[in-house]
Amino acid sequence: MAKTVLVVDDSPTMRQMVAFTLTSAGYQVVEAGNGKEAVGKVNGGAKPDLVVTDLNMPEMDGITLIKEIRKMPALKFTPILMLTTEASDDKKKAGQAAGATGWIVKPFNPEQMMAVIKKVLPG
Amino acid sequence: MSTDLSHFKDAFFEESQEHLTTIEEGLLQLEQRPGDIDLLNRIFRGAHSIKGNSGMFGFTAVSQFTHKMESVLDQLRSSQMVVTVAITDLLLQSLDCLKTLIDCARTGAAPDEAHVAALGGRLEACQGTPAPGQATAVPAADERSLPPGTHRFTITWAPPRYLFQRGLDPAQFLKELASLGTVTHLALDAGRLPVLMELDPEQCYLGWTLELETGKDLKVIDAVFDFVREDSTLTIVDNPVETHPTAAVSDGAKPLGEILVETGVVSQTQLNQALSQQKKVGEILVEQKVATPEQISEALKKQSECTVPAKKAETPSIRVDTVKIDRLINLVGELVITQSMLSDLGSRFEMSQLPVLLERVAQLERNTREIQERVMGIRMVPIGNAFSRFPRLVRDLSGKAGKKIQLILSGEETELDKTVIESIGDPLTHLVRNSADHGLEPPDERLAAGKPEQGIIRLNAFHEGGSICITVEDDGRGLNRDKILAKGIKQGLIAESDKLSDEQIWMLIFKPGFSTAEKVTDVSGRGVGMDVVKRNIEGLGGTVSIKTVTGKGTTFTLKLPLTLAIIEGMTVRVGQDTYIVPLLSILESIQPKREMLKSIVGKGELVNVRGTYLPLMRLYDVFRLEPELSDPTKAILLILETEGERVAVMVDEILGQQQVVIKSMEQNFRKIEGVAGATILGDGTVGFILDVRGLLNISRNGTAQAA
Repeated sequence: MAKTVLVVDDSPTMRQMVAFTLTSAGYQVVEAGNGKEAVGKVNGGAKPDLVVTDLNMPEMDGITLIKEIRKMPALKFTPILMLTTEASDDKKKAGQAAGATGWIVKPFNPEQMMAVIKKVLPG
Repeated sequence: MSTDLSHFKDAFFEESQEHLTTIEEGLLQLEQRPGDIDLLNRIFRGAHSIKGNSGMFGFTAVSQFTHKMESVLDQLRSSQMVVTVAITDLLLQSLDCLKTLIDCARTGAAPDEAHVAALGGRLEACQGTPAPGQATAVPAADERSLPPGTHRFTITWAPPRYLFQRGLDPAQFLKELASLGTVTHLALDAGRLPVLMELDPEQCYLGWTLELETGKDLKVIDAVFDFVREDSTLTIVDNPVETHPTAAVSDGAKPLGEILVETGVVSQTQLNQALSQQKKVGEILVEQKVATPEQISEALKKQSECTVPAKKAETPSIRVDTVKIDRLINLVGELVITQSMLSDLGSRFEMSQLPVLLERVAQLERNTREIQERVMGIRMVPIGNAFSRFPRLVRDLSGKAGKKIQLILSGEETELDKTVIESIGDPLTHLVRNSADHGLEPPDERLAAGKPEQGIIRLNAFHEGGSICITVEDDGRGLNRDKILAKGIKQGLIAESDKLSDEQIWMLIFKPGFSTAEKVTDVSGRGVGMDVVKRNIEGLGGTVSIKTVTGKGTTFTLKLPLTLAIIEGMTVRVGQDTYIVPLLSILESIQPKREMLKSIVGKGELVNVRGTYLPLMRLYDVFRLEPELSDPTKAILLILETEGERVAVMVDEILGQQQVVIKSMEQNFRKIEGVAGATILGDGTVGFILDVRGLLNISRNGTAQAA
C-alpha cells in the first residue's frame, strides 16, 4: 500500500511542489497550510507514515506541530522531517529537541528531498 | 533533474505577488505600530517564503537579496534593532527592488546589478555586522566527493537513547550504510542494556560496529549520521585500500568572482561593484570605433523587440475560491440531469405532455442563468487588490507634499470583474493624487480653518443595483466654483455668457488641459490626468460624478458596470428590426400627448417631459429604417440619460428585457456611430446595442449614418 505523507507548509507553491514530487514517487499526500490544520487533519483520521513540515508558519509553527505530533500515541514514532532555510544549528537543535527526525535544507531539488525521505522512511 | 518543477513557476510568481503585497502593507502599518510582533512576523514570513521558494527555482538573485531583507526583519523581530523611518524607507525601497528582481526572473531580463548591490549593501550595513552566509550555500556532499578509491571504514555507533522518540529507526541507518557499499562485518554491542526490570522498551540501548567497503569517501559516510550526530557516540575509521591520484573537478566551473568571494578574498559587495564597472559590449565597440552609436542602439532595439513578445505571451491566471468551483460543478450536474430529462421526454413525446415539457424548459432556463451568473462570478475578484497600492502611494504623497494624510479604505471585499479592476487602477491613482495634492490643504491652512491637521482621504467601494460605485472622498477645501469658472472662460472652454449649473461647472475639470493648481508639482497640476480619468472610466461603460462642499471636501464617485461582457438590456422594435437599449441608461418610457411635442427651427423636434424640453430622436431616421409608426403620440418614447444629458428616442414597440452578450462591432465589421455593439437574439438574428453617448452626439450634430 502506498505510504501517506503529510505535507505542512504555508506557502502553496512549496506545498504543491513537495506534493508533486512525492506523488510522482508513488506516495499519497495529505496537505495542510499550517500546524493547526495539520493537527486537524490527523485528528480527522489521516494516518501519515511521514510528516514533512515547514517551520515558519502562521497559527501554529513547525516546532509546536512536532511537539503536538509526538504527544499522539499513534504518531509517537513516525518520522518527521522539517523544511528549513536556515542551515543554522539553533533551528536544528530546537527541532531535534521537539522530536524531529531530520531536516531538509531549502533550496533542495526533488532528488535531494527523496534521498532524505528514503533515509528515514522504511521502504 | 528527473522531476521537472518548472511548471510551478507560474504559481511561484503569483504567490510572490501576494507576499509582496503582504510585506508592503505590513511595512506601512509598521510605522504606526512599530512594536507589533505579529505584524513583524507576518512581514518576515512573507520574505521568508519568497526566499525559500525562489531558491527552489534557482532564482538566486531573488533569494540572496531577500535573504538580506530577511536578516534585517529578523533583527527587528527579535528587537535587536528598532523600527525607524529610515529603516522602513530602506525596506520599502528594497521591496521595490525585490519586485523588479522577481519581474526580471519572470521575463528573463537582466536586473540593474549596481542598484541591487547598493541596496544589498545598505541592508547589510544597517545591521551593523555584514551577514556572511548566503542563502543558497548548501554544499551537497556527493557533488564535492573526491575521486573514487576503495576505502574500508570501521564504524562504531552508539545512538542516543531517545532515538525512537524522534521517529528514527536504527535499521534505516544500517540499510543506508549497506546501500553505499558492502558490509563485510557487523557486530552488535548490547553492553548498555539494563536489567529487564529497568528496561524501557521505548529507549534504544544498542550499538553497532561494522566494516564497510565502499568507493565513497568519509564525508558521505558521515552524512548518513547527519540527523543523530550530536548525541551519538560515533567513530569512523578510514582504512584506505588503494588510492588514485586526485583529478581536478572541472564540471560546471564556477565564475572567478564566485570563487574569490567563497575563499574570502573579496566580499560580495566588492565583487558587485567591480562587476558594475564592467563596460557593456556596445560601449566598448563604440570606443573602438568598430560600430557607431546608432548601429548599437538599432541592435539594442532589435534585442528588446525580441524580448517583448515573450513577456506578453504569459497567460494571466486567476485564483478562484474552491467553493465557487464546487457550486459550479453542482450546477453543471443539475444541468446534465435536466438535459437527460428532456431527451427522455423528447424520445417519446405526446402532445399531452406539453406542460411537462414547458416545465422542463423553464428548469433548463433557470440552470443556464444560474450557471451564467456563477461563471461570471469566477472572474469577480475583490477590489481590495486594486486598493492595496494606495497606502504606499498616500505615504509617498504626504511626504512629498508636506501634508499629513490618513487614508481610510472600506468595502475592499466588494467584488467586480478582473478586467475592470485592472483598468481602474490608473484612474483611481489619478483621483487619489488629485485629492492629496489639490483637495487637501497644507497643515497650517487646515488648522487656520479649524480642522484637524491631518487630512483624510477615504476610498470606498459598494454595490448599487447592477453596478459598482467607488468613491474617492477628501475632507479638504472643496472645489472653487469661481476659480473653475474663471479658468474655463480664460481657456475658452466656455463663454462668459454661458449659464451653467454647478454640476456642469464641476465637469469642466475633466476637460483636457484644465488645471487650477497655482503651482505645478510633480504629482499633479499639469492638467493631464482628469480628462484621462473620465475617458478611461467611460471606456469601461462607467460614469464619474462630483459632489463638493466648499471648505468641507470633495467626493468623486465612479459608477462602473459589474462586467464588460454582459449587459442588462431592453429589446425594442423599429419596423422589422430589433435594437437593444442598455437598461442602465433608460430613465422611463412614455407615450407623449400631442401638446407635449414642439418643433423648433434649427433645433429639430422637442418633447416636454414634466417641464423640461428634451430633444426627440426618431430612431428610424437615425438608421434610415422603414417604421411602422411615424406619429410620436402612437409610438413609444424612451427617455435615455448619460452623463447628465437626456434624450427621448422614439421606437415602435418595447419587446422585453433580457441579458445580452456584447459582441464587438469594430472587430467584426466597423464602428458605427450610435451603435455600441451587436448581439445574437433568441431567434438567431443579430440585434444592435444602442450607444446612448453616440446617439446624443448625433442629436447634437444632426449627422447620421446608415447602419
